[in-house]
Amino acid sequence: MTKLDAKIPGGPIESKWERHRFDLKLVNPANKRKFNAIVVGTGLAGGSAAASLAELGYNVKAFCFQDTPRRAHSIAAQGGINAAKNYQNDGDSVWRLFYDTVKGGDFRAREANVHRLAELSVNIIDQCVAAGVPFAREYGGLLANRSFGGAQVSRTFYARGQTGQQLLLGCYSAMCRQIGTGKIKMFPRREMLDLVMVDGRARGIVVRNLISGEIERHTGDAVVLCTGGYGNVFFLSTNAMGCNVTAAWRCYKRGAYFANPCFTQIHPTCIPVHGTYQSKLTLMSESLRNDGRVWVPKNPGDKRAPGEIPESDRDYYLERRYPSFGNLVPRDVASRAAKAVCDEGRGVGDTGLAVYLDFADAIARDGRATIERKYGNLFAMYEKITDEDPYRQPMRIFPAVHYTMGGLWVDYNLMSNIDGLFVLGEANFSDHGANRLGASALMQGLADGYFVIPYTIGGYLAGTPLSPVSEDDAPFMDSARQVTERTQRLLSIKGHRTVDDFHRELGSILWDYCGMSRNNDGLAKAREMIRDLRAQYWQNVLVPGRGDDLNQSLERAGRVADFLEFAELMVEDALARQESCGGHFNEKFQTAEHEAMRDDENFCHVAAWEHTGDGSAPQRHTEPLAFEHVHLTQRSYK
Amino acid sequence: MATIDLTLKIWRQNSPRDKGRFETLAARGISTDMSFLEMLDVVNEQLTLDGREPICFDHDCREGICGMCGAVINGRPHGPQRGTTLCQLHMRHFADGDTLAIEPFRARAFKVVKDLVVDRSALDKVMVAGGYIAANTGSAPEANATPIAAATAELAMDAAACIGCGACVAACPNASAMLFVGAKVSHLGLLPQGRPEAARRVLAMVREADRQGFGNCTNVTECEVECPKEISIANIARMNREFLKAAIASRER
Amino acid sequence: MSWLVGTFGTAIGKKLFMSVTGLCFCLFLVGHLAGNTLLLSGADAFNAYAAKLQSLGALLRIMEAGLIFFAVVHVGTGLYLFYQNLQARPVRYRVNASGGGQTLGSATMPYTGVLILAFLLFHLVQFTFVDKGDAGVYALVAAAFAQPFYVGLYILAMAVVGVHVSHGFWSAFQTLGMNHDKYFGLLRMGSVVFAVVLAAGFAFLPVFVGWVA
Repeated sequence: MTKLDAKIPGGPIESKWERHRFDLKLVNPANKRKFNAIVVGTGLAGGSAAASLAELGYNVKAFCFQDTPRRAHSIAAQGGINAAKNYQNDGDSVWRLFYDTVKGGDFRAREANVHRLAELSVNIIDQCVAAGVPFAREYGGLLANRSFGGAQVSRTFYARGQTGQQLLLGCYSAMCRQIGTGKIKMFPRREMLDLVMVDGRARGIVVRNLISGEIERHTGDAVVLCTGGYGNVFFLSTNAMGCNVTAAWRCYKRGAYFANPCFTQIHPTCIPVHGTYQSKLTLMSESLRNDGRVWVPKNPGDKRAPGEIPESDRDYYLERRYPSFGNLVPRDVASRAAKAVCDEGRGVGDTGLAVYLDFADAIARDGRATIERKYGNLFAMYEKITDEDPYRQPMRIFPAVHYTMGGLWVDYNLMSNIDGLFVLGEANFSDHGANRLGASALMQGLADGYFVIPYTIGGYLAGTPLSPVSEDDAPFMDSARQVTERTQRLLSIKGHRTVDDFHRELGSILWDYCGMSRNNDGLAKAREMIRDLRAQYWQNVLVPGRGDDLNQSLERAGRVADFLEFAELMVEDALARQESCGGHFNEKFQTAEHEAMRDDENFCHVAAWEHTGDGSAPQRHTEPLAFEHVHLTQRSYK
Repeated sequence: MATIDLTLKIWRQNSPRDKGRFETLAARGISTDMSFLEMLDVVNEQLTLDGREPICFDHDCREGICGMCGAVINGRPHGPQRGTTLCQLHMRHFADGDTLAIEPFRARAFKVVKDLVVDRSALDKVMVAGGYIAANTGSAPEANATPIAAATAELAMDAAACIGCGACVAACPNASAMLFVGAKVSHLGLLPQGRPEAARRVLAMVREADRQGFGNCTNVTECEVECPKEISIANIARMNREFLKAAIASRER
Repeated sequence: MSWLVGTFGTAIGKKLFMSVTGLCFCLFLVGHLAGNTLLLSGADAFNAYAAKLQSLGALLRIMEAGLIFFAVVHVGTGLYLFYQNLQARPVRYRVNASGGGQTLGSATMPYTGVLILAFLLFHLVQFTFVDKGDAGVYALVAAAFAQPFYVGLYILAMAVVGVHVSHGFWSAFQTLGMNHDKYFGLLRMGSVVFAVVLAAGFAFLPVFVGWVA
């Protein structure tokens, strides 16, 4: 077990980033055009990175699996983006955002990274407004804010219930401008299937053209991975259908360390599961908890309609348990509390796996029109899916897999342990610790892409001697051959079970044993089940069609094959972390009040896993975390 | 849980060069709580197990925001429900025994790639022509330096809600993309940040839409009705206004 | 010059031609209808009106030339748009359905347009490019509308004009960028009212003249 060096700059935390920017080597403007950067993924991190790098003069090749960069799943973020602007005069500051994020992450994030994130948050809002993001405004024309979980200030900027889409359109339009100038070459409908290393450095990627099936090789001087999270390993999640771990996993298999894979976020307010055919779960923005009150009946088995349950028989359990944060406790806390009341038999709906999110009081207080203006599109979406009118009866919600705090390990420069491989956004592990606060994912993606990578990639390129490479070089040819072989192998199995069938089973194993709460026996059992399922997969999966055209089953087959490998690492990581923190709740480690109980003595570190070959156990490395500014305490939202 | 049986007459086409044909498939025991795409998933699972090729269709977020899905159901892009993408259309809106004709979005500018999957890159090209505000990263002024009246921001937001799905093109009898272009021109042009480039933007985007082979707007307004985000044709008028102004009064050529 | 083509040759540029010429025709129709109502006052009044018009001489010629030019632009651009719009969807849908956006007018613009053109030519041959003799134009009109066939034909033609105008009128404003929250509903409704008044007004005249005759 080696200790990893995060290359955190010295000095006071407030000036680390500024000093580091000065210390980083620069590439002069004329030389930038000699460098090629590969950006994989075009969500908020990838889109902002591609555009910003191209504006600086680098040649960028951008890749996404969708038909256009504007569809990356960042688009689905609803509620908002945090920034420490303190426009509300309610006591916010960079320091408070930093503090809230470290604490919200249950002390498993790097202080220096989080502080940088909080500093950059204000620039993000400026940049987005300049790019034409139509944030909500007050009548006087100044920017409006709302509140999100885990904070007692209003620092969330929003564009109705579609903040993610608006921010992404900002990045996408900036990309469009650079595509027009020729600085970005866009490759849509490409799936990254391998990282190519030359002389120990990341020098390119191999992708499959999803339309023609062609395996393409692309060279670059650095690879910037912005491929999002792995929530779809659970089959049912709020992620888009195409979200996958493949790009990150291929990098892992080429030597990149995978950090904290067991840190998954279960979002408390999602529409409950209603059938086995279900393909995905739909999030109802956390912003709803600004006005909605969460409750269940006081008595188990109370099957009365919500309207017939009098106040005296209702338990507003979040307000009861956490009087100071109330309905706006962080996500991990809210999710576990919902699970707890359902475990007590107080869940509602047919399945008993739901709690009420009630707007009756808010509608009575503010009027229907106000609620409609704030949340109209979310209410409409809820009604479309459930056929129930949330203006008349409370929403039924239940936690669902939403975000993954784990990801490829990166240092302060957002570079992985592989030289030249940068990892941004949800794909890296860096800023959210064991639990992400609401409205912070957009912030991180954009901070990484707009304001971190433009500096740190220059530092790398200026300080690294890079020999020319060609896509016909052996490493590229070898990688392409391996990718082709794997594709052919998947097609040739011709078994009896569909890809989705396997995926669904994998998901239910993980949900049952590595979901909202975990225990050592369950995790050990899950590990065996995953191994079995993986073995079956490679013998019995049925992938129809061919490899040389658009074949969506084949695309999914490759992703699920990687999920089946990744799931085991996730369980492994959960087993190794013998404590509870944030989204990782091991039943053995809880306080008397059933809150997560950390073990700071033994686990105040990042766990980063190294691939040691197929069939051999991965090796666990650690990066110790030091908390000099936010003192390690038991989190309390009471 | 109610279930229904349906007959699908669905467009199958192997490649852009293939002529394509309708295929009749049965969808049995479809829960009315399923989304339309989940219904297609169920059909596809069965096709796969039967040793046939599943139906290709684009989709991703399945919550009505990414704009990737879309097909024409009985002549209606994204199906019969107003303000709804195909992924958010639920089977409770159909009756047992219904026959559904399922076709790809059709336009010269949208080539069929396979089955229901079409190539909508023409919309990207229109965006590349001018659908942006040139604001290099780092050069932005303080966000509250320019107040924008809430009503104006809301109007811009109405236009910015466009998800780029292409249903407007599919719905238009002329396969025109003017609702899309109008929404973009309006979104950016309504904001003070977008004014400096407004004249250049509208000329460039309209010209590019023509080059991509979209038809001409004749104000039939089917686009507005079928738009899953209910974008108003007022945006087309705003674009027309902007165009007229740019053509006659600005120095842009 | 190239910017001119690049601007007015675009989808919106062409529509501007349609819009401006179309509105001019609407104006012309109003004038034409106003003049023709003199048919209600009998032969003398109408013949006097016709004579007054003829006495305008060069001014009338200029107006006629203008109308012909506008017609060429309107019809030519319209046909070109129609052709382009057909081209824009080479493979048609098997099932066509409307979500409720289109109206009888908007769905049939090219067809009603061609019908109106055909009617217009017939109308000009019948009443304009013809030897009016000594009896005057009223007699010519009266003779024609004594035949139920012509009355029927004119009523039908005016219905077609009404359908065309019901979409064309508001559409012209939309193309010019005039769409305002407050007035849009009024404009859409006004467009239909305008079309009905125009069509009914014109259609009433043959009936009246035929009945009197």
